[in-house]
Amino acid sequence: MEGFGLLYNGFVNSLTMVNLFACFIGALIGTIVGVLPGLGPTATMALMLPFTLTYGATTGLIMMTGVWYGAMYGGSTTSILVNIPGEAASVVTCLDGYQMSKKGRAGAALALVAVGSFIAGTLGIIGLQFFAPFLGNAALSFGPPEFLSFMILAFVLLSNLSGDAPLKGALMIAFGLFLSSIGINPMDSYPRFTFGSDTLMQGIDFLPIAMGLFGISEILNIALQTYVKPEVNKIRLKELYPNRAEIKRSVAPTLRGSILGFFVGLLPGPCTVISTFVSYSLEKRMSKKPEEFGHGAVEGVVAPESANNSAVMGSMIPLLTLGIPFAAPSAIMLAGLRMHNVEPGPMLFTNNPDVFWTFIAAMYLGNIMLLILNLPLVGLFGKIAVIRPQILMPVISLICLVGVYSVRNSFFDVWVMIAAGVVGFFLLKWKYPIAPFIIGVVLGPTTENSLRQTLMTFKGDLSLIFNRRLSVTLLALAVAFLAYKFLSPYFGKKFALKVEPNDKL
Amino acid sequence: MGKAAKVRLETCFVFLMFVLGVIITVTSWGYGFGSLRRPGPGLYPVFIGVMICIFTLFILVSTLKTKSSKPVLDGQGVKKLVFMAATFCLWIAAMPLLGYVVVTFLATYAFCKIMALEGWWKPLAVSGGTTLFIYLLFDYWLYVDFPRGLLG
Repeated sequence: MEGFGLLYNGFVNSLTMVNLFACFIGALIGTIVGVLPGLGPTATMALMLPFTLTYGATTGLIMMTGVWYGAMYGGSTTSILVNIPGEAASVVTCLDGYQMSKKGRAGAALALVAVGSFIAGTLGIIGLQFFAPFLGNAALSFGPPEFLSFMILAFVLLSNLSGDAPLKGALMIAFGLFLSSIGINPMDSYPRFTFGSDTLMQGIDFLPIAMGLFGISEILNIALQTYVKPEVNKIRLKELYPNRAEIKRSVAPTLRGSILGFFVGLLPGPCTVISTFVSYSLEKRMSKKPEEFGHGAVEGVVAPESANNSAVMGSMIPLLTLGIPFAAPSAIMLAGLRMHNVEPGPMLFTNNPDVFWTFIAAMYLGNIMLLILNLPLVGLFGKIAVIRPQILMPVISLICLVGVYSVRNSFFDVWVMIAAGVVGFFLLKWKYPIAPFIIGVVLGPTTENSLRQTLMTFKGDLSLIFNRRLSVTLLALAVAFLAYKFLSPYFGKKFALKVEPNDKL
Repeated sequence: MGKAAKVRLETCFVFLMFVLGVIITVTSWGYGFGSLRRPGPGLYPVFIGVMICIFTLFILVSTLKTKSSKPVLDGQGVKKLVFMAATFCLWIAAMPLLGYVVVTFLATYAFCKIMALEGWWKPLAVSGGTTLFIYLLFDYWLYVDFPRGLLG
């Protein structure tokens, strides 16, 4: 019953003008970003971090989560209407969504996706609401060895699930960890890799790196592509009604996608993208008419779209309970919360329960807002999708420049962003995954603290880790995963969960 | 940029990362490795440096073996990339002198032209609109302290 009391307080706190406005703005911007091909939710969330500084941590968290799952909602619109995925998690939706559109069922597809996303989002929030405090309490018994083992497991999974080459992912994590070690080490106040520079003493800020890697690199990428004007199917409000057969066919896939997506969200890596692929293949396998997939099967549209929405909520669990982000957008959220001096993790539920419960309540409200926004305004969002990059990219470029400068009034940060952007552009071209890089940067200090505290606790005797059951289990999982990865080719098996978000289907 | 150039560029990048790994390891060792019982400030970055060296060595071998069919950028692409990067840099360099309003306007105009937005009134309208939006949002609403420059 205590949980319901806290949730009630959360609703009271979230029903303030500021929080409602933040929720609405986040959801709206997220939907627009989801609709627009190119700029993804991660870059937008990084871009919005400076705006959240004016308000509290809860308001910032609400706004950024609104962007993330708003993008999941909006991403489907262009996939269905123009066969262009607004963001990576909507790539799968193109397969059957556009086929439905060609058959004149675009309105029905959009309506079913909006309702499915709403159900998935709500189920995801319920899951988050019940699992997060429970896991948070369990995590209170975690010591540095457990955190270190957990991070090793996360890094192993992350490097293997992101991109097409695990070594490239591992290199990106290592490079991110290195960047985070620049500056004065808080454990012994020793300056590292500063080369006498006062600016570097403070370390390299996370925000310009994230904006460069996810924002500027994408701007450069789009600027160098040839623009082909997409044709958008016009949708009228009265066309949004799905028929009885379509509704019946979409109920079970929506529920399956929601549950599957939530658990895939707990995995390190591009969980929203992975959830759509896994959900699509599951539906195809379960279908009595698998031959319809790829030709406008409604299950192939609603299941992945439900899965990516609940995956967002699932991925909030490791962030809020352990303070460990498993995906790039949650890494941005961690950075944002730290900017507000709120440290997510097991102590969040003791020290800042209001942050968690207000966030949960606002998510319920945000989900309703998104449903209201997405159904009647689908025609408008379709028009936004055809704004030319020649107009859009200059505006976004300048907002990135000014946005990064505004955080610390630092030109150094702007230089860092530009450098990260150019490097990120080439990394994208050479298929180096960027998410592990940014997660490495964010988790660097925690990893170092855990490592050094573990060594000091064990007085240098690492064999003592065998006395910690959880640590041993987590490390054993990491070793088992690596062993499977290396040995599976010899047994004629291929690891299936490998996703390249930039691949066109 | 041709096929050979593409391979060379990526290989150069991986090689540079390897060199960086060596530098990190050596520099970190100088900070004091300490011991496993009493770790020094250099222990953690030494591990990272060694990891970077190992990973880059494997990637270097596979990069040298791989034959890529698609060039990263053609001549036009390189030109565009250089102009874009130069505009970003000029925005920073010219800001203290000209102030944020003028450089923002000019940079937006430059971006529009680099991205081949046709005519002159469309780029002017986009530049004017962007500058006004940035003024209202960052200066008027968020009170960000921008350099005003000579014209401010």
